[in-house]
Amino acid sequence: MPTHQEPALRTIGLRKAFGDHVAVDDIDLTVPAGSFYGLVGPNGAGKTTTLAMAVGLLRPDAGSAEIFGVDVWRDTVRAKGLIGVLPDGNAMPERLTGREVLTYLGLLRGLPPAVVAERTEELLQILELDAAERTLVIEYSTGMRKKIGLAVALLHAPRLLVLDEPFEAVDPVSAATIKTILRRFADSGGSVIISSHVMALVEQLCDHVGVISDGRVVAAGPLDDVRGAVTLEDAFVELVGARTGGTEGLAWLTA
Amino acid sequence: MAHGLTLGPAALAQHMIRMRLALMRNSLRGDSATNLYTGVSAGLILAFATIAVAVLWPAYLPLTLAVWLCGWIFGPIFIGGGNEALRPEYFSMLPATPGRIAAALLAGAFAGPAPAVNLIALMSLPVYGWRFGPAGVLIGLAAAVTTLITMVMISRVIVALIGLFVRSRATAAAVGIVTGTAIALCSNGWAPAVALGGADTAAWSQILVRVLPSGWGVAAIEAPWPLALAILVAGVGVIALLLAAWAALLSRRVVSAARGGVPPRRGTPRPFPSTGGARIAAAKELRAWWRDLVRIQLLATAFSYAVVTPLLLLALDVWVMVPFAGLIATVMAAASSANLYGADGTALWLTLMTPGAERADVRGRQRAWLLIVGPAAVILSLAGTLISGLTWAWPWVLGLLPALLGGGAGVIVLLAVTSLVPGTDPHKRGGNPLSTGADETAETSLAWLVLIAVPATALPAAGAILLHPWAGIATGVLTGALCAWGLGRIAYRRLENHGIDLLNLMKHGPSPQADKPTTADLPIQHRIGVTISYVIAWLPLFPQGLVPLVMKTFGIGDRSWFLALHLPPIWQWPTIIFMIALGLLMYGYAILIPMRLNSPSPTTTR
Repeated sequence: MPTHQEPALRTIGLRKAFGDHVAVDDIDLTVPAGSFYGLVGPNGAGKTTTLAMAVGLLRPDAGSAEIFGVDVWRDTVRAKGLIGVLPDGNAMPERLTGREVLTYLGLLRGLPPAVVAERTEELLQILELDAAERTLVIEYSTGMRKKIGLAVALLHAPRLLVLDEPFEAVDPVSAATIKTILRRFADSGGSVIISSHVMALVEQLCDHVGVISDGRVVAAGPLDDVRGAVTLEDAFVELVGARTGGTEGLAWLTA
Repeated sequence: MAHGLTLGPAALAQHMIRMRLALMRNSLRGDSATNLYTGVSAGLILAFATIAVAVLWPAYLPLTLAVWLCGWIFGPIFIGGGNEALRPEYFSMLPATPGRIAAALLAGAFAGPAPAVNLIALMSLPVYGWRFGPAGVLIGLAAAVTTLITMVMISRVIVALIGLFVRSRATAAAVGIVTGTAIALCSNGWAPAVALGGADTAAWSQILVRVLPSGWGVAAIEAPWPLALAILVAGVGVIALLLAAWAALLSRRVVSAARGGVPPRRGTPRPFPSTGGARIAAAKELRAWWRDLVRIQLLATAFSYAVVTPLLLLALDVWVMVPFAGLIATVMAAASSANLYGADGTALWLTLMTPGAERADVRGRQRAWLLIVGPAAVILSLAGTLISGLTWAWPWVLGLLPALLGGGAGVIVLLAVTSLVPGTDPHKRGGNPLSTGADETAETSLAWLVLIAVPATALPAAGAILLHPWAGIATGVLTGALCAWGLGRIAYRRLENHGIDLLNLMKHGPSPQADKPTTADLPIQHRIGVTISYVIAWLPLFPQGLVPLVMKTFGIGDRSWFLALHLPPIWQWPTIIFMIALGLLMYGYAILIPMRLNSPSPTTTR
């Protein structure tokens, strides 16, 4: 029986290769229940692939994932009931309006119609999508797509939110709203995982971080342990062994 | 400082050609290479056949060239707006006038196999000109060049027009009706031609094929030289006009944001019904049918083909097809709905993440398809049978219609999850509202598969009708219901177990360790053979084999275009058997060769 003592998410030895390229190489992550977890890493580090395998949207070559102790690949239906997911770059039912998407998915999940209507109204209002009542999702801007995706993830009041780059392309006002919603969710006992490469944001929101580079976990744990005495950004650059460029060349641009 | 603002038109065109060739080189992998080789081989055969026409049957040359023109006009419509390797959007920020960019894009458009193949076909003009002496050859050569440019330009202008003006249901349906009519004309256009007295005797048709831009070359060769010169100059003028029109259309296209073909709407949408499961999925799907211009166009194509085909045969006073318009519409509508999941793209993730939604989604899609196609097919069938007055057709129509509707509803969802063709996600599609970005050849072969599979589901009903008309109707209803239920059940089971693989097929392309046979791994001669077999094997098997078999069995006297029935009686059965055997052999070859050659799974790379 899953309990709050079980970690919200645990991955053991997750691995995925695309052809010759190993995108995710033996990843072990533990996200404690009730934590606000930030998954950070450079572009192409394997964050999206890891999260997709953790929630059951991508079949791993090896390893397993558990959500509150429920195996994602063996007990798929139960695991799916526990999580709300915002994947990066996936399509939606594009020919529906925002309200229709939420209504449709709520009813499809078997929520009572009155509950669906109430939650849809609230989510659209808070995420400021209610003005675009006649706009189909296919016509949404990138930021609006993120917001409707987040609304879909929240709709069934899951225990764990897995959000891939939730703040990308979102305007500052909406970002502040989303942060507040996520903090309230975490404060009330919910668990959140976000991936991002904006260190300041992760530092501001998260209490735990995992740093992925080249498909491997290079550091993980409570925020203060990972960053030590410096900022997360400095610690990150140190951890992934990157060198910040931009000082050489381009003479023609600065002449 | 900024450089490169003074790039001349020649240099710009040269860069365009290089870029186009680089794009083609990079895309020449796997299936697209096969498609290209097959297309070029088929094109070359047709091109040399055109030259043969110029030598052997010169009277038919203008008509043959008109067919090439039709290819340039309808090709891009069939394959969803044409394969635009160089999209005008790429160059919208270049500091150059639209006219100059259009001219350069045109140069890029010639750097491909199709114009080269067409130029070979147009070499039939100087060959024809040889009959008129050296001047005829010269005029023929000049006309070949202007005709080629004109054909390519017409094609581009039509693509640009579709991209700009297909913004509403009415225009999408109009494109669909034109397409359906064109397919019907291709398959049965001979009927009115025969009725009007044949292409070689009717003077008006000779004039018509010369008035078309494709026929100007022939007209110029045949004309006295001042008139010939005037025709050539007029050809150049038309090219200039088309280029100007294309430039204007392109500059409008890049500044108008088209998003995946969304028709305009008025008012707040009707609220969803307060229900769940398959009914809510059907409600979602019905909205998609009504709000997606691609689907509207495909449906219009299916129904216009079904209506126009019997009408064409009426020119010969042949009424036998009229009662079956609804059946044809059902099969065609199934063929154009075969890639349901591929068309929605990665939106599948939501179905997969909602516990138990796979079944609801499959059943919902089936219901929506039946609601969209069913009523229209029933009305067409009843009206057609009544109007034709062919009472013997009633058991066939009443028995086959439920069988085909149920078969269609089952086959489309089954193929949608077993043979998905990945496309571009709807929100990422480009300036062409009628293109799904999927591999057109793969989508077309999926449609062919439906055209074979759906009628096959009605075979039991057909057999029963032969035994007893009313038994046929009961069998039709029964097999229809069984197909819709059973194939749908297999489909949602498969979606439950393999949905993630489908999602990742759409996200990341085919899995590299897949060991299923693909034509891409075959030696080139087999690739070409397999593709050609898939494309034409239906011809001997169905219209030239099984259909005359049925007609001969029942003593239906109408010989139509069935080769066997035109032969002396002693040769009729051997011909029918030969045709069926040939068709089966071609299908067998196309299916078995890839399996055999791929059986030790080859090491494939991404």
